[in-house]
Amino acid sequence: MPVKEDQVLDCSGLACPMPILKTKKAVDALKVGQVLKMISTDAGSLPDVTAWSQKTGHELLSHEESAGTFTFYIKKAK
Amino acid sequence: MADRIVLMLTHGPEDPERATIPLSTAVAAQASEVEVLLGFQSNAVSLLKNGTIDHVFAPGFPPLKQLFDVYREAGGKFLACAPCVQSRSLNQEDLIPGTQIVSGATFVKEFTASSHVLVY
Repeated sequence: MPVKEDQVLDCSGLACPMPILKTKKAVDALKVGQVLKMISTDAGSLPDVTAWSQKTGHELLSHEESAGTFTFYIKKAK
Repeated sequence: MADRIVLMLTHGPEDPERATIPLSTAVAAQASEVEVLLGFQSNAVSLLKNGTIDHVFAPGFPPLKQLFDVYREAGGKFLACAPCVQSRSLNQEDLIPGTQIVSGATFVKEFTASSHVLVY
């Protein structure tokens, strides 16, 4: 079943660590259970978002990459 | 022990990339809910002089001043090595807000209270 996002954050063009910082702020503003769709072009995005999710406890529901653009769906868990 | 790291900077504006990487890491740590403290020794204390970071840019990274501002706004503090500050004829009023001038025992206390210490 496709994931439906509650908020979209476009971090295209931003360099590390700004995508993660903006993701944290965006997730902080969500309610528990809501989903953030985050778009990034930073080359380290996949391991970064994966590590961030593991560290903070928020759930990385899915991710995809297309032509250097990463799209993540993150569910606020707490 | 709760996650807590100390990042030690030892290079100043003469090496923008090496000065910027620890700030980038510190901001990532804050975003990851890891407590982080920045220490400045050797010529890294020059980064704390008012106005210096306005002119430090490392390719591929956000401007150093932006990272300093984000780190500080999230509650981050700066510890500056007292002899390194004095040898450069700097005083507290020359340094950016949030800077605490300290000596070796303070650094040791912070190192031993942290799970990881990295030197750049």
